[in-house]
Amino acid sequence: MNTPHSSRRREVLRSMVGGSLLMPGVLSELLAAGSADPLAPKRSHFPAKAKRVIFIFCNGGVSHMDTFDPKPALFAADGKTMGLGGGLSNQQRVLLKPGWKFRPGGQCGTMVSDLFPKLRDMMDDICLIRSMKGDDNEHANATLGMHTGSFFFSRPSIGSWVSYGLGTVNSNLPSFVALASQMPYAGTQIFNNDFLPAYHQGVRVVGGKEPIANLDRRSQQRGLQELELGLADVLNNRHLSARAHDTDLAARIRTFETAFHMQTEAQEAFDLGRENDATMDLYGVKRGDNESFGWQCLVARRLAERGVRFIEVVDGSSSKNWDDHADMAAHEGKARKIDQPIAGLLTDLKQRGMLDDTLVVWTTEFGRTPGVDGTKGRGHHSACFSSWLAGGGVRGGLAYGATDEIASTVVENKVHVHDFHATILHLLGFDHEKLTYRHGGRDYRLTDVFGEVVRDILA
Amino acid sequence: MRSALTGVCLLLALPLMGAEAVFYRALNLNGPALTIGGHAWEAAAGARDVKVSGKTFENQKVLLKPPTDTTRTQMIRSSVWGNNVDVEMGNVPAGEFQVFLYVWEDNNNERFDLLVNDRVVMEGFESGTAGMWKKLGPWPCESVGGRIKVSAHAASHGAANLSGLEIWSGGAAVPKLAKMPFVETPAPEQIAFFEAKIRPVLVEHCDKCHSAKSEKIKGGLLLDSRAGVVKGGDTGPALTPGDPAASLIIQALRHSSEDLAMPPKKMLPAQVIADFETWVRMGAPDPRTENTVAAVQAKSSIDWSKARDWWSFRPLVAPQAPAVQNAPWPVNDIDRFILAKLEAAKLKPAADADKPALIRRATYDLTGLPPTPEEVAAFIADSSPQAFAHVIDRLLDSPRYGERWGRHWLDVVRYADTAGDNSDYPIPQMHRYRDWVIAAFNRDLPYDEFVRDQIAGDLRGGANDEERYQRTLATGYIANSRRFGSRVEDYPQHLTIEDTIDNLGRSFLGLTVNCARCHDHKFDPITTQDYYALYGIFHSTRYPWPGIELEKKQRDLVPLVPADKIAEAEAARAAREKEQARLDKAAKSLKEEVKKAAPDKKKALEASLAATEKAAKDFASRPLPFEYAYAVAEAKKREDVAVQQKGDPARPGDTVRRHFLTVFGGAELPANSQTSGREQLAGWILAGDNPLPARVMANRIWQHHFGRGIVPTPNDFGKQGKPATHPELLDYLAVQFRERGWSVKAMHRLIMLSRTYQLGTARDEDAVAHDPTNELLAGFPRLRLDAESIRDTLLTVGGNLDLTPAGAHPFPPQSEWNFTQHNAFKAVYETNRRSVYLMTQRIQRHPYLAIFDGADPSASTPARPTSTTPLQALYLLNDPFVHEQSRRFAERLRSFSSDDTVRIQRAYELLFARAAQADEIAAGKAFLASAARQLREDGMNAAQIDTESQHAYVRALFRLNEFVYLD
Repeated sequence: MNTPHSSRRREVLRSMVGGSLLMPGVLSELLAAGSADPLAPKRSHFPAKAKRVIFIFCNGGVSHMDTFDPKPALFAADGKTMGLGGGLSNQQRVLLKPGWKFRPGGQCGTMVSDLFPKLRDMMDDICLIRSMKGDDNEHANATLGMHTGSFFFSRPSIGSWVSYGLGTVNSNLPSFVALASQMPYAGTQIFNNDFLPAYHQGVRVVGGKEPIANLDRRSQQRGLQELELGLADVLNNRHLSARAHDTDLAARIRTFETAFHMQTEAQEAFDLGRENDATMDLYGVKRGDNESFGWQCLVARRLAERGVRFIEVVDGSSSKNWDDHADMAAHEGKARKIDQPIAGLLTDLKQRGMLDDTLVVWTTEFGRTPGVDGTKGRGHHSACFSSWLAGGGVRGGLAYGATDEIASTVVENKVHVHDFHATILHLLGFDHEKLTYRHGGRDYRLTDVFGEVVRDILA
Repeated sequence: MRSALTGVCLLLALPLMGAEAVFYRALNLNGPALTIGGHAWEAAAGARDVKVSGKTFENQKVLLKPPTDTTRTQMIRSSVWGNNVDVEMGNVPAGEFQVFLYVWEDNNNERFDLLVNDRVVMEGFESGTAGMWKKLGPWPCESVGGRIKVSAHAASHGAANLSGLEIWSGGAAVPKLAKMPFVETPAPEQIAFFEAKIRPVLVEHCDKCHSAKSEKIKGGLLLDSRAGVVKGGDTGPALTPGDPAASLIIQALRHSSEDLAMPPKKMLPAQVIADFETWVRMGAPDPRTENTVAAVQAKSSIDWSKARDWWSFRPLVAPQAPAVQNAPWPVNDIDRFILAKLEAAKLKPAADADKPALIRRATYDLTGLPPTPEEVAAFIADSSPQAFAHVIDRLLDSPRYGERWGRHWLDVVRYADTAGDNSDYPIPQMHRYRDWVIAAFNRDLPYDEFVRDQIAGDLRGGANDEERYQRTLATGYIANSRRFGSRVEDYPQHLTIEDTIDNLGRSFLGLTVNCARCHDHKFDPITTQDYYALYGIFHSTRYPWPGIELEKKQRDLVPLVPADKIAEAEAARAAREKEQARLDKAAKSLKEEVKKAAPDKKKALEASLAATEKAAKDFASRPLPFEYAYAVAEAKKREDVAVQQKGDPARPGDTVRRHFLTVFGGAELPANSQTSGREQLAGWILAGDNPLPARVMANRIWQHHFGRGIVPTPNDFGKQGKPATHPELLDYLAVQFRERGWSVKAMHRLIMLSRTYQLGTARDEDAVAHDPTNELLAGFPRLRLDAESIRDTLLTVGGNLDLTPAGAHPFPPQSEWNFTQHNAFKAVYETNRRSVYLMTQRIQRHPYLAIFDGADPSASTPARPTSTTPLQALYLLNDPFVHEQSRRFAERLRSFSSDDTVRIQRAYELLFARAAQADEIAAGKAFLASAARQLREDGMNAAQIDTESQHAYVRALFRLNEFVYLD
């Protein structure tokens, strides 16, 4: 932690006050003890390939039968009424055929619709799950469930759990970052640490000039801020010298050091200036862009490189998203926006050799109904939907699970949201039943009292 | 093996003529003719003398709750529906009849009335959640003019879904279908069949989850003994002897639905399933004699006398203060309890705190604000023995005290200004409860009254209207329970009530009562019956409706008017709403007219539209002549409720009488009590033989003085909580608390006047080595300022803390509320008032409070965590609020003196309540000189340099550990 900056500042201060106040050694001795750092890297329960997660969340409910879950029977059944249909729940509605053609992708030949042509080419790297299931048909509840394992109550986010389990390898950056230019359903609850210690809180990154709140130095002069920190350092050390057994005090002194570096290091992570044109093109990001979905994906890779444990990329807000009740054709533009950036992210990670130890997750809060809503739209459908995993420890090229002939219910290898979470934790080396935190008289875990690891999709 | 079956006799009892009613006719209201329960059911379509109105509907995919046999399932899941459905049967002979009606729900709850021959037999029937069905009746009736008519009338937007009608003639009891019993004594060939075909399968495929040896018994079902098979599991009997189709075990083996599929991974071979069907048809002969059900129950049932022996349930007895070796050291009994433990550990107490540290500690402790330099000076100058007592009295008399200690309580009751549903609706009236709490601490409302008012204040009356209003406002405590979801239909009231019970248990009893919602508490002696006994009390309580996505308007608030004016007030409100609706409607229809109007009439119509719209708006903004409280009242129906098995309201079990926790004697309401029971509940909680309220609150008071409770888990005094570090001291305090009339302020005096409270923080090496976490309190624990104190201090030293009454938040007017989960209510209102008055959302955390470990607004916060994160440092480095306050503080210093030494001294007095030492002054001056040098290089003039360097100095001080830690 004794970087050139801090020693230079202390040097300046030493000359200012004649060295009488400085207590060399006290701070470093305390810090060497190391026990005070709650974010120190931790071992998982067992060795695992994945060291970090990029969690891409498409808000609003992406239709499964229009994207990753081909249903020839549904094309044929257009306009008929059978089984469960549309609306917000299990009403019978007239069936609506999917709006896009399906074609095989990659060597594996997994069928994906024309909404995701670029991702379709990556299917050999992707482990698709067509048998996802949630518990609730409301956006907010389903979104909360997908992030916390709880569909009603506020609980720690999956990113906070991962941070709690693994700590971080770069103390100049947060362990958990949520790239959310706009706020999804359930708001801050999706990256909240809830009862886990606040170190594990997701730090929200918005696009634009100041991606993290208070990251910009507000005092004009960098030198002046360094002087301020130097004075605080000296006075804090004076204070500490009479209270040398108090590691909390030492830990707090260090956070200013970290914050000081975050001002530059985090800014650097958000600055795409050093990325070459080929990389920018891969994500479909233009120079000067600092907020698009492509920017979020590219920044996700940069944060992953810099040691951030859990990076969430949020697509859409609680009002502008995939929730196409009126006309499914609106899925087209939304898919265009994310297809290339996500495919680019996978390609980029692969090229850099990072896909082996990075787990990429793509999901939404629920699927959409086979029956029509409005005239050409679809309703909310938590009974089944599609999600996928790629990279660290999963079997690429696999299409796991199945829904019935009209994509209304899971018929094979159901993967409940709790199972999905258990599997993600397993891929990171955790037994989801043992990654617990004692709170309010009970050991809590991400998967509540449920969840089974889906072993068939492990590489 | 088939031959073995021939010996089995099917015991079907014949109905006895005369003593019992006789089956007359039954109709499958939509679908084919069937045989159900041995009776022929006719298809209603085409049946003689039958007329059915309503639309037909069928959805055979909905999972029925509870499950039933295949034929009945088929009949139920096809039905006729509508908001007025009539089923009429003609040509019925004269005489007495009894009617049964099958109703079901395919998606969302509906509400309707049921009538037989135009007479209401059931009012406001609720159909429940998807898959729920009921066989309603018997309703006795006579044929009228040769007809029996059954009707369902729904309210404005409900729809009834009727599946089947069953009519019996005669007034006597309808015979229960005789069931085949379980085989009691199996024949040798039956035993052979069981041993060969059944037992091996049970052992191989079921034992893992359904035996006494299972790590976790799934679904409450034991299949490892006859007793287990007979008793069945949580979803009902495992099988119906003689009827494989109606048997859950067979349905599960056949994987008949996603949720009823065993073994879950793979279906067993068809032959095995056929064997089980055969076995069920035989009457499930089973030679196993071991009773694993009793064994498991014995293991899990509560031994009440042992349970009552848990330390926190034991009666409160005033403990003797222990003898100590260092007799002159203690000032009061608290010190004796503390010193005795220190001496036992061979540790010595630290030196007393110096006066500046002590007054800074006490001032933050009681008011959350720093002492002024003048207050510090006065305390130092006062050499009388009562000097500190005077400081305490002064602080307790300050209105700032209630703002600090009220906030501690608001943490516990997870106070929020919004409802917590998916759209997080604002509650503009909620602040009145917040203010009630603050005022209650300021006026030292005795804690027992404080508890009573919050649970049942509305039922207590009062010496005058104002007292009655205040007590009503206090029940905002219950009203503030969290809301969920977006819809009115299916509204999960059971979760809101859970939130109430959860908080009530933790706040007043230090118990996690809500753990017993789905099953008996795993660690503490609280049963599911106890939980639903309390549930009945809150089920019988009317909660105000805060608005939700699909029903946005508030309702069921309580008017604060004299008792005899309530009806009048409600009438005035209703009249007003009617008038508002009339004006809105008039404006709407004028708008339509304008659209269609001929050009010559358009202008006149437009003018009249404008006038009407204005009238409507003016009317909407006219304040009501009285105030509404967001408070609770007695519900229309006050009744006991049924246990919800596994916490699922769709699975009612036995009804339980409203009562208090069994471990405290289980006092109960009389049968058919006409009150909700809240007043009794408050009484039970506060009863003399319940030691918990005194222990729990005394611990909370101690906790806020010392940063940690004697019981370090203030919300959990059960087995999962941590044990008390000084159990006798806790009981001493609890007894004192009661004896001093539940006065919280008296407890502050008692605790703060102890020598223990006045210790310095510097412990000797022995103490640090042997007691690293300072549990024994050899010295005062160094405390960190909480989020509110940091912000309030910045405002104070910045000279712009606004101490005028806070009042309501600037929420948008209700007429403009259009919040949905897509556009949830989100706001941060800037204010220079104390942080306790910040608008707190249930769902969205306030950005500042989230960074600095503010209270969790969605669950009780018994103790604030103290995290130390770089985000906090970034906030102090760069946040505009910090910069603004440091600018203002620096200006104060600059106008105080032009001399840097004096300014530095003043800064130390204001921030740290002490004089600056020479080396600190030197460091400050050296800093100012370096800063000036740098600013000069940047081209600033002398005045700018003086300003900017002073700002920079102050910013550095705001980041010091000494700023946020109290010695």
